[in-house]
Amino acid sequence: MEKELKKIEKVISNLELNSQAQIQELLKNFLKTHLKKSKIDNFIGDYPTFIEPVYLNVNVKIGDDVLLGPNVYIGKNTEIKNYVEISNSIIFDNALIGENVKLNNCIIGKNTLLNCENINIDNCVLVGNVKTKEDVYRIMYKFK
Amino acid sequence: MSEKRKQEIQRIKELESINLARDEIRDLVIDTKKEVEKDNDLLAAQINDELNKRGIKSIDIVGAIGAGKTAILEKITEKLSKKYRILVICGDITTRVDADRIEKHNAETVQINTGRECALNAYHINQVIKNKDLFDFDLIFVENVGNLICPSDFKLGTDKRITVVSITEGEWVIEKHPMLFKMSDIAVINKIDLLERLGTNIDKMIKDACGFNPDIKVITTSAKTGENIDTLIEALEL
Ligand SMILES: Nc1nc2c(ncn2[C@@H]2O[C@H](COP(=O)(O)OP(=O)(O)O)[C@@H](O)[C@H]2O)c(=O)[nH]1
Ligand SMILES: [Mg+2]
Repeated sequence: MEKELKKIEKVISNLELNSQAQIQELLKNFLKTHLKKSKIDNFIGDYPTFIEPVYLNVNVKIGDDVLLGPNVYIGKNTEIKNYVEISNSIIFDNALIGENVKLNNCIIGKNTLLNCENINIDNCVLVGNVKTKEDVYRIMYKFK
Repeated sequence: MSEKRKQEIQRIKELESINLARDEIRDLVIDTKKEVEKDNDLLAAQINDELNKRGIKSIDIVGAIGAGKTAILEKITEKLSKKYRILVICGDITTRVDADRIEKHNAETVQINTGRECALNAYHINQVIKNKDLFDFDLIFVENVGNLICPSDFKLGTDKRITVVSITEGEWVIEKHPMLFKMSDIAVINKIDLLERLGTNIDKMIKDACGFNPDIKVITTSAKTGENIDTLIEALEL
């Protein structure tokens, strides 16, 4: 899994206009084959709703009324605020997902801070640090 | 819908009861509650259409903690997994204990941990089936979070619902929970291997179930000895 994640990280750190198909394939492959066997372990903390498979790396912080899954990987030290819903996505380390943000089929890069609320995002790579919804649209890389 | 109203609705959805709402937002609370219930039922109907179209039979099982839902599912999957490809969706507050028990009998499982919610709803089931290759399955079972109250608010889009009680819960357990029996197709009274010891009035339990719902099939079982598990499987009309 680590190796595959590294590969994806490398691709999204150097996005080109024509990487869409490659990203789509990498994400799909990771969720289908590498995440498949991830079963929910006892999660100590505020209990969110999980639908398998969900993989939580160490020190993930999760708010109230959060729905994670199916097919979600969350990296180290990432924080998920209240009312967030995530499916079919990879969230890398040290990221922040703001309140009531809904992600499906997305890749969120390392250290990316989505410091905004109430937004629905599909089929995107997001890397950066945003404070408003408008900023999200600015850094958005649609791959589908 | 304005952002503000959306947030207000979001907040109200969390309220357990309209009794808690302040008078000035009471109507909004009631409207929201209706909307949520309507959305769930609509989605449940869509799920059922989708599964039917693909020729997949589906059954959900509700009942109190410890009634024997998982034990019954173990017996059923053990018998049926040679003939059918089975997916079992297990709902629990936390852990995947039940999913692990069922997986031993050659069924694929998906665990849903509901955290603080006391029942599965149609949205949970839809998220699972939308993201699964449905060609891999002939039969889907859902084990709901253990309790006899919340699940009656949410249809899940299955063909049939089984409510499981056990004689260790006492002969009043059906009488006290009319809603679930009204919306179930099959009532299972489990742990009849203990009948002699406990002396529970099982005739009263059967009468209560049929009183609430004349169409309900009542089956007395023991998941321990396997008694009447075949009768139960027949009643699934696969
Ligand atoms: N004697 C007896 N015990 C049973 C029967 N069915 C289940 N049990 C036991 O009751 C306990 C709870 O069963 P379980 O299947 O986990 O219940 P669930 O919470 O409804 O899924 C377990 O220890 C089972 O072994 C039965 O028919 N007879
Ligand atoms: Mg169980």
